[in-house]
Amino acid sequence: MANARALDKRRKAVRNIRKITRTMELIATARFKKAMDRASAASAYTRQITQLVSDLANSGLEVTHPLLEYREEVKQAKLLTLTANRGLCGGYNGSVLRLARKHWTKLTAEVESVGLEVSGKRGITGFRHTGIEIENSFTHFDDQPTFAEVEAIASRYLDDYKHGRLDRLDVAYTMFVSSSKQVAVVETLLPLGALAIDSGPAADAESNESAGESMYEFLPSAESILEEVVPASFKVKLFKCFLDAAVSEQISRMVAMKSATENADDMISSLSSRYNRARQSQITGEIMEIIGGVEALES
Amino acid sequence: MASIKCIVVTPEATALEQEADFIALPLFDGELGVDVGHSPLIGRLGLGELRLKTGGNISRYYIDGGFVQIADDVVSILTEAAVPAAELNVAEEERRLAEAQEQAADSPERFEQRKRAVNQARARLRIAFRA
Repeated sequence: MANARALDKRRKAVRNIRKITRTMELIATARFKKAMDRASAASAYTRQITQLVSDLANSGLEVTHPLLEYREEVKQAKLLTLTANRGLCGGYNGSVLRLARKHWTKLTAEVESVGLEVSGKRGITGFRHTGIEIENSFTHFDDQPTFAEVEAIASRYLDDYKHGRLDRLDVAYTMFVSSSKQVAVVETLLPLGALAIDSGPAADAESNESAGESMYEFLPSAESILEEVVPASFKVKLFKCFLDAAVSEQISRMVAMKSATENADDMISSLSSRYNRARQSQITGEIMEIIGGVEALES
Repeated sequence: MASIKCIVVTPEATALEQEADFIALPLFDGELGVDVGHSPLIGRLGLGELRLKTGGNISRYYIDGGFVQIADDVVSILTEAAVPAAELNVAEEERRLAEAQEQAADSPERFEQRKRAVNQARARLRIAFRA
């Protein structure tokens, strides 16, 4: 039987760790709520832009734009991976990295020159381990990415794309589906393909309607507006990736820390019962010794 | 009296949602005034000042490009940034302008970038002066 003091020490250590994981859980919960609020605030813009696009489509305008068209020859591609700066969030970083690495091997096989950009310290160290060279890395994105920061990156991509230095941009990030489901995904953001940004069924139905006359007057012209809408929707799409990643990070940290706290609870109770048993058997042993000593004296 | 509803959304949040009697918008080529019963319109915005007149009050905002959609007395503005004029500060905007003018313009893209930054700073400065 293990000795009671060692067990007590271990129990104390587990208790301390539990305090830490519990606090981290609470912090992650608070941050998750904040990140979630931001993400839902941002959805207003997405909704409006989708509405705008469907109105443009209704005006009978042919929706074409260089950013929307697939290029026949893809010479230069880029993979942007969004990970967290910190660990202790369960499988969050691992699953994005695994997917990104798989996609990387596929991409390098297809395209002659591929660049890798990583956001988050975890991703940077992860890729460094595998010996893949990182072209560009960011560590300044925390749980609340601002649009200005994302926009800087987005305009760089747009510039590169326009000037033929980039033919394809893929983003590997954790998509936030619901608070109980987040999936690591790879999405191709450039070329944009279809314009509608996760358009609901309503928006789809609208744009499918026959392109009749629109009640809108366009200033200066529908084409010119479309020209501006497409880059804006790319930027907002990229921003949404960052927001999704931030929300997912907080939620997976929250879940991970919750189960860590629960495990610590289990461990404390099992250690406690072992400790009590050990202490009891120690006491019994001591009593036996005393009785033995008394009997020896009597005889 | 009927009023117009003005909604300003940026990618980060809904910056403003308010009723107004009259709205002046910075379109790409000049200002557009919107009163009650304006015809439906979709337009490109430039850099400049958004003014909302409610009663006797006028509130001003700096708008950083984007789009406007007007229908049924609702003016929705999509822009990358909307800053209340009261938050703009002349000294800071002057510094921003100087910084923008410092930027190198050694290639067509850089030149475009600089032009945009300078125009942005100038528009902000103008509003800061007026506030």
